[in-house]
Amino acid sequence: MALLEAKDLHVGYRTFEGYLHVLNGVKIEVDEGERVGLVGETGCGKTTTVKTILRVLPMPPAQVQGGEILYRGEDVLRMSARAVRDLRRREITAIFQDPLQALNPMFTVGTQLRDILKDSMGGRDGGRLTKRDIEKRCIVALQETGMPDPERIMTNYPSQLSGGMRQRVCIAEALSREARLLLADEPTTNLDVTIQDQILRKLDELVDEKGTSVLMITHSMGVVRDLTQRLYVMYAGSMVETARTKELLACPRHPYTQGLMKSVPRLTGEGISEGIPGRIPNYLEPPSGCRFHPRCEHVMPVCKEAIPPFYAVDEDHFAACYLYRS
Amino acid sequence: MPESILSVEHLKKHFPTKQGLVRAIDDITFSVAPGDTLGLVGESGSGKTTTAQCVVGMYPPTSGEIRFKEEQIGTAFKRRPKYVKGDLRIVFQDPGSSLNPKRTIKQILSIPLKVHHIGTQHDRLARMKELLNMVELPADEYLYKYPQAIGGGEKQMVALARALATNPSFVLLDEPTSALDVSVQGKIINLLIRLQRELNLTYLFITHDLSLMRNVSSRVAIMYLGKLCEIAPTVEFFERPIHPYTKMLLSSIPVVSDAEEALKPRKAISKGEIPSPVNIPPGCSFHSRCLARNGRCAEDDPAMVEVAEGHFVRCHAALESELSGHGAA
Repeated sequence: MALLEAKDLHVGYRTFEGYLHVLNGVKIEVDEGERVGLVGETGCGKTTTVKTILRVLPMPPAQVQGGEILYRGEDVLRMSARAVRDLRRREITAIFQDPLQALNPMFTVGTQLRDILKDSMGGRDGGRLTKRDIEKRCIVALQETGMPDPERIMTNYPSQLSGGMRQRVCIAEALSREARLLLADEPTTNLDVTIQDQILRKLDELVDEKGTSVLMITHSMGVVRDLTQRLYVMYAGSMVETARTKELLACPRHPYTQGLMKSVPRLTGEGISEGIPGRIPNYLEPPSGCRFHPRCEHVMPVCKEAIPPFYAVDEDHFAACYLYRS
Repeated sequence: MPESILSVEHLKKHFPTKQGLVRAIDDITFSVAPGDTLGLVGESGSGKTTTAQCVVGMYPPTSGEIRFKEEQIGTAFKRRPKYVKGDLRIVFQDPGSSLNPKRTIKQILSIPLKVHHIGTQHDRLARMKELLNMVELPADEYLYKYPQAIGGGEKQMVALARALATNPSFVLLDEPTSALDVSVQGKIINLLIRLQRELNLTYLFITHDLSLMRNVSSRVAIMYLGKLCEIAPTVEFFERPIHPYTKMLLSSIPVVSDAEEALKPRKAISKGEIPSPVNIPPGCSFHSRCLARNGRCAEDDPAMVEVAEGHFVRCHAALESELSGHGAA
């Protein structure tokens, strides 16, 4: 049984202009100990997916219209508020894109780390841990992320730290309690390449050590290549392709993924393709059938009629495209 | 010296702040040949954008010279000749904030034409349509739209059309695609390359993305804490990077194929963070993060040395090994 499994998820937002049909049958599976990547462009619903899994989506305006999210066989969407809190305390943890928004500017790093540890241990007084234990575990957690001088950092406010350091604090917070599943939502998008490289390597090490399962969300193909085993490609609220990461990057099958891979600038310098014509659809009135059909060069009549299911194109390689129907 | 369209010599720009003097640009020298694309790469806080802003005249330099077509332009913006302002244009990073949301695209495009007295009212409309066609936007459809009604990539094309309105020979591109998705980026980059060929433009292309640089520029300059570390022709730069910082940058790039993986230097593992520009380390400003540092690095700042044709490096350690390498051969 998969650790996390989202099935046919439909989520929308009720806005002034009308109803935004964002997620359109999202499916994801993360197995125990597996690292899965989810790539897609701006506005394709990556963050909405993560927020739905964590049940932190503001409702209203958001609405879950259908589908289920099974965590170890239990539907997260139908859990009681108390059960969800326990889930977030013990099982699922997350790192978000902007550490400045994730950290409270009014409290020191130490206060925030201690609070999280105490809470995950089950009570406000920290359950069975003594104050000294908590302090020690906080320092260890910071040290693990490669932070120099953790004792001093504990007394600092987030505004006193650089972007890379703040993200390390967030990683320490996320990994300080032994969660089974880490949701990393663009953890390095705001950082410089050299810092990104350090953070990703550290994350890789820590996850390896603790055996956490990871769902890594990003828009950068390069970032997922080293860090994940399997990859989902998302377009306009639905999954278009999934396979083992290296295989998918080397030989993409869905027309969207193919266009995307061609427009990634390469270090080998063979030039950049024209990209994909058109742009991501308006969610107020999304195209019928396959949402990619208005931009697709292989469009067929059937594409406009029904959402294509996943067709197997290779061993462990699926593409949601009618080209592979046979 | 080969003739160059833009040459910057010993340029410095310092900002006094409460915390101390920020040396945003600290003595940089480079030149760009006509029709060339110089890529300026660096991390955030390295002074790339300040360099662009000095060249385009948004800040007067603290000291140093900027020469554009043999004209001294390192003076106050008001004293800069008007034709230079039309000949040297800039495209900013975020088209969402560089285009006025309350003006239609027609109004946005008409401003440079009016300021530089190009054509009569009637000619201007034709020119604006021509400009939009040049950047591959259907003119009749877009002329009366507002920026918020079009996508990010299209906004950047309008910003580019505005820059081209005065028929410039030099365009500064300050991270023109870093706010955009890759599938849109491809289109803009190809457009830039085509326009460069057709209009004989010279670019100073600022970015933090080395893979993009590989595909766009003919020469690459690496900037770190207000100083240049290495300048080289693109192909040579990627085949034989010399400066330890350059190697660190190259090894940090996330890539998507094995062929690219092979190009990355193996041993240069990134560490440390860019120090605050108020507190620049003495000697070589990179020595605190450098993997190849020796005793001299903390004391005196290395000078720029030409190691091969057009390939300049500013590093003690690299030069020593380079020299001994040549001695052995």
